[in-house]
Amino acid sequence: MSAMTEHTLAAPAVTRLLPKPGTLLVGLVVIGVAVVAASSAPRVLASLLTQSVIVAFLALGVGLLIRISGLVSFGHAAPFGLGAYGAAWALSPAAPIAPEIGLLLIAPAIGAAFFLIGLVVSRIEGIAFGMLTLALGQSVHVAANKFRTLSGGSDGLIVDVPRRLWGFRTEALQTASGMLIVAVAALMAVLLALAVFERTRAGRLAVAIRENEERVRFLGYRTRAPKAVVLALSAAIPALGGVLFTLYQGFVSPEILTWGFSGQALIMAILGGSVALWGPIAGALAFFVLREELGGLTSHWLAILGTTLIVVTVTWPTGLAGAFGALGRRLTGTVAKGDPA
Amino acid sequence: MSAIFRCEGLGKQYGGVVALQGVDLELEVGKVHGLIGPNGAGKSTFIDVASGRTAGFGRVHFQGRDITAVAPGERRRMGVSRSFQRTSIFPALTIRDQLDLAAHGAGGGDVEALAAMLGLDRVLDRRAEEVSYGQQRLVDLALALVGAPKVLLLDEPAAGLSVAESEVLATHLEEISAQWNVAVLLVEHDMDVVFRICHVLTVLASGRFLVSGPPSEVRTDPAVIRAYFGSTA
Ligand SMILES: Nc1ncnc2c1ncn2[C@@H]1O[C@H](COP(=O)(O)OP(=O)(O)OP(=O)(O)O)[C@@H](O)[C@H]1O
Ligand SMILES: [Mg+2]
Repeated sequence: MSAMTEHTLAAPAVTRLLPKPGTLLVGLVVIGVAVVAASSAPRVLASLLTQSVIVAFLALGVGLLIRISGLVSFGHAAPFGLGAYGAAWALSPAAPIAPEIGLLLIAPAIGAAFFLIGLVVSRIEGIAFGMLTLALGQSVHVAANKFRTLSGGSDGLIVDVPRRLWGFRTEALQTASGMLIVAVAALMAVLLALAVFERTRAGRLAVAIRENEERVRFLGYRTRAPKAVVLALSAAIPALGGVLFTLYQGFVSPEILTWGFSGQALIMAILGGSVALWGPIAGALAFFVLREELGGLTSHWLAILGTTLIVVTVTWPTGLAGAFGALGRRLTGTVAKGDPA
Repeated sequence: MSAIFRCEGLGKQYGGVVALQGVDLELEVGKVHGLIGPNGAGKSTFIDVASGRTAGFGRVHFQGRDITAVAPGERRRMGVSRSFQRTSIFPALTIRDQLDLAAHGAGGGDVEALAAMLGLDRVLDRRAEEVSYGQQRLVDLALALVGAPKVLLLDEPAAGLSVAESEVLATHLEEISAQWNVAVLLVEHDMDVVFRICHVLTVLASGRFLVSGPPSEVRTDPAVIRAYFGSTA
């Protein structure tokens, strides 16, 4: 990876890095649908959608780690919760810098912290990695309960969102419809960034490491940092979701740090599937819809959800994204190549 | 003597099994050095220790420098490259993408030209899991060849290829070693390939050095004949 050889290789053209125009169009259509839904959907539905879109950031981070590194996390509520608490802190009088700057630094800071963690744990895989994330998540949860002066303990913190941020009025952010548009636009921007990342050499290197780390090392690379980058991305995205959560709710509590919440995100990621980048987002929407519909019918909705999950993983091991992909190919009559988005 | 790559007393023990013991070997620029021996003789183990895949006994020198403690990736950037007996590629990546990664890792290299030479040019944009086994073997080899390394340690590159494909491969290896000024160590069971392109042969048996010399002499050496008939069907 020496710099002196950089010029001997033609840099991939920018056009090669961008997703197909059709994919970009779908992203714009989704934002358009969000605008329409925000203005016309009943409040209950808008609120449900907004919650699911915010949690979709978490599911996306968990799914990204599965998709690129093949690692399963049971502790990603931690970066989401840290993002939410970080936002609460950035908005508090105790913050050392202006909230406009502080809020923007939270996701990069949490990403950087997870990059360092990634450097340390780069050799850990499989079940051991799952246990490690569980322990990490639990220790953050415990810390939030213990350090009452900082976190408000189990009572949580009420956040005073200033009336204006970046010159905009913040009232809208605390309504379901306003936040829905902002969150969907941010989510689409994150998806676009991830799609570009996957096409860069760094993205392909990350996939190569998952497939055959030993050979990557024999090709002249160190694998520690690229793996840590993926972990960092998978934490920064939930952290951004956490920031939006705080701006929307105006309240944070350790509930968003529980291992149960991490587990829900994992269910969303598996339900949605990892063959397409957007899979976990579909999973998050499906999860909230199922919970809403089934929760009204029976208090045993979790059991039904569990059954659904088993059925999905058995019949479509590639999740909703895989099922949609297969359906799309059948409809358009193209040869099945298993090519994701 | 212009040995670019020198191994001294390489050895390896797996539990109680002595897989390799006290083997010396030197590679010269522009020469193909064959390493042969019956199954389980320690040929792959030799390449594993020499390439830094596993830690063992002995010392490895490259261009006069002791690289025994150098990590595999660093060795590759210095110009010491290897291929794998059990195909070691990236199934989900296109062949172009993985060769591009290999070129970047090695510090440069012409992916298109290499692919054309090995006959992989028509499948460059296919994923490695979609092409034939013979082509996957060539991808494994190509990953080692990208960027014109100075030393190539090849573990049975012709295994799984048809007779015709093996012949083409042998021709390429001959050209590569001569034109790129590469020192090649070739582990190979296909004796037609070995006797056609190797300048020197070293024979291992049960992890130990047996004989070394020009192919014509090794072929008729009684100890070699005994080793082969004694341990393989
Ligand atoms: N990872 C390992 N663990 C235990 N024993 C091993 C391991 N790798 C190799 N061996 C043993 O070391 C000895 C040498 O094996 P090696 O693979 O080097 O032989 P080889 O000459 O390459 O054989 P082949 O022609 O079948 O490829 C064998 O007895 C083998 O069983
Ligand atoms: Mg072998």
